[in-house]
Amino acid sequence: MSKGKRINWRLWSGMILTAFLFFVAIFGPAMAPYDDDYEEKIVYVQTDQGSELKAAPFPPSSKHWFGTDKYGHDLLTLLLHGAKYTVFTAIIVALGRLIIGGAAGFFGGMHRAEKVKGKNQFGVLGAFPAFLIVYFVMLGMNINSSLSPWQLTVFQAALMTAVGIPGVYSVIQSKTIELRKKLFVTAASSLGGGTSHLIWKHLFPHLKGNLIALFVNEIIATLALIGQLGIFNLFLGGTIKQFVPVIYFSKTHEWAGLVGQMRGFVFNAQWILFFPLCAFILAILSFYLLSRGLELRERAAMHKFPHI
Amino acid sequence: MKLLFTLCSIIILIFILAALPMTLHDDSRSTKDNEFRFTPRAGLEAVKDYFIGLKSGETFHYRQGSDREPSFFRDIGSYLMSSYFYLVVSGLIAVVVSLIIGAWQAKSKQEWAKDMLGFLGVIPDFILVLLLQLAVVSVYQSTGIHVAKVASSSTDNPAILLPIITLSVIPVIYLIRTLSEQTFEVLTEDYILTAKSKGISRLSIYIQHVFRNIIPSLKADLHKIAAIMMGNLFIVEYLYNTRGVTGLMFIEGDYQYNLIVNGLLTLVILYLFFYWSMRLFVFGLERIFAYE
Repeated sequence: MSKGKRINWRLWSGMILTAFLFFVAIFGPAMAPYDDDYEEKIVYVQTDQGSELKAAPFPPSSKHWFGTDKYGHDLLTLLLHGAKYTVFTAIIVALGRLIIGGAAGFFGGMHRAEKVKGKNQFGVLGAFPAFLIVYFVMLGMNINSSLSPWQLTVFQAALMTAVGIPGVYSVIQSKTIELRKKLFVTAASSLGGGTSHLIWKHLFPHLKGNLIALFVNEIIATLALIGQLGIFNLFLGGTIKQFVPVIYFSKTHEWAGLVGQMRGFVFNAQWILFFPLCAFILAILSFYLLSRGLELRERAAMHKFPHI
Repeated sequence: MKLLFTLCSIIILIFILAALPMTLHDDSRSTKDNEFRFTPRAGLEAVKDYFIGLKSGETFHYRQGSDREPSFFRDIGSYLMSSYFYLVVSGLIAVVVSLIIGAWQAKSKQEWAKDMLGFLGVIPDFILVLLLQLAVVSVYQSTGIHVAKVASSSTDNPAILLPIITLSVIPVIYLIRTLSEQTFEVLTEDYILTAKSKGISRLSIYIQHVFRNIIPSLKADLHKIAAIMMGNLFIVEYLYNTRGVTGLMFIEGDYQYNLIVNGLLTLVILYLFFYWSMRLFVFGLERIFAYE
């Protein structure tokens, strides 16, 4: 088993990047070079012909590492301030989905008759895009809301947890149904083990690897959901809408929301879109590497080989 | 019977969902009272008006701009066709490509290929769209070559390549994963060993035994694929500005309950059309690979 001794670089780089994300999320606002409401609309630049007036957006420079947006907000500052909303919401939502959906899935799988296995009870909800449900709930209350960013974030997080539970439930349930046929479960059951004993002592340890991988995947799914809503101007933590002309701002500068807010800068001043996009992809990449690393570590034990 | 039940519950869900923005309301800028309000009455009114308006046909008119009230049925046919076109073309590409790559990838021990595929698979649709758009623009700005249209500028000039790439990439990744797992399972079966020991060529084994055994799992995945693609359709049509059914839902201006409900109901019809078209295609595949 020389392969097993090789360093699992995916797991390590995933852990390092995730640790970095946590660091940014916690200490980001303290490290930010400017306040989050700082605006630099115009500057005087000394050139050969004397001083020249320049207006935002400013491209990346030593003064603004990631440049500024159209209104002179420093992009690095916005990203550092928004990180906590992105990272913690995604993790808490994924955790909620896993705990509620997982517990229901274990019990559902243990009590379910085997014949109906594979049928999806949540067919209707499953076929309906989750983002539509969240979209219509948030549409009336998210834009120019009187609720505070925290209230809106908590509300939307609860909603995103709820729409994700059926998916987790059916995964855990089908795995439980598969596992409970194994001999060790039958043995434990015939020795008098009750349902919760079987789940805690036999099924849960067996599925721990799957659960962790599922957790990381749910984080990524949550990030995607937040981002899709952001594309339609429903930013996590509230949207500020200005009317003439119609412009949407994110209250929290949450990363997926920034991507949605800046989505128009494809043709010019691309750095405005590019840096939030990079930050968001970095978040997804770190969780993805983590999940792959965990998956490979788990899979090393059971292996089948093809004949041709 | 089950289909009917599912359809009914989806329709009820649509009526309720579309009424939510009026039921849960908080918009301090437009109503002046700064508080969160829960008004089920407003939602119920909207549902009632929808059914009352059915008789006079008012339900099927919507506001466009400040003074026009076109009929819903005037344009919906072309919207439906446009959305259907993107979905079916991307769906067919997705199935064919993933069958080929899935079979080829099943035995691959190259973890980096799986890394790449997996990462592409977790990238959300809107990130993919924005990256593609940025790439096309930067290629154009640095070399002057116009690779593809970044977004539709008008109805006669629709973006085709990028929307189809985006719509097919996501199901392709999903299908490659499940199909290559399935192919792997099939390849470990004893009948493959038997066929191999009989001296049957690799290609024949794939055509006669492997493909016909993974088609059922493809069939089982069709609903999931269709659902994923319908979800992506919202983002794709919005960001590429193609004229489709989902575009009706994001018209600037006041919230129009009737329009949203009609749009969502049209999407259900689109889903059914799309699903059955894909089903027909898989049926064709069965005739090729799994005939008796």
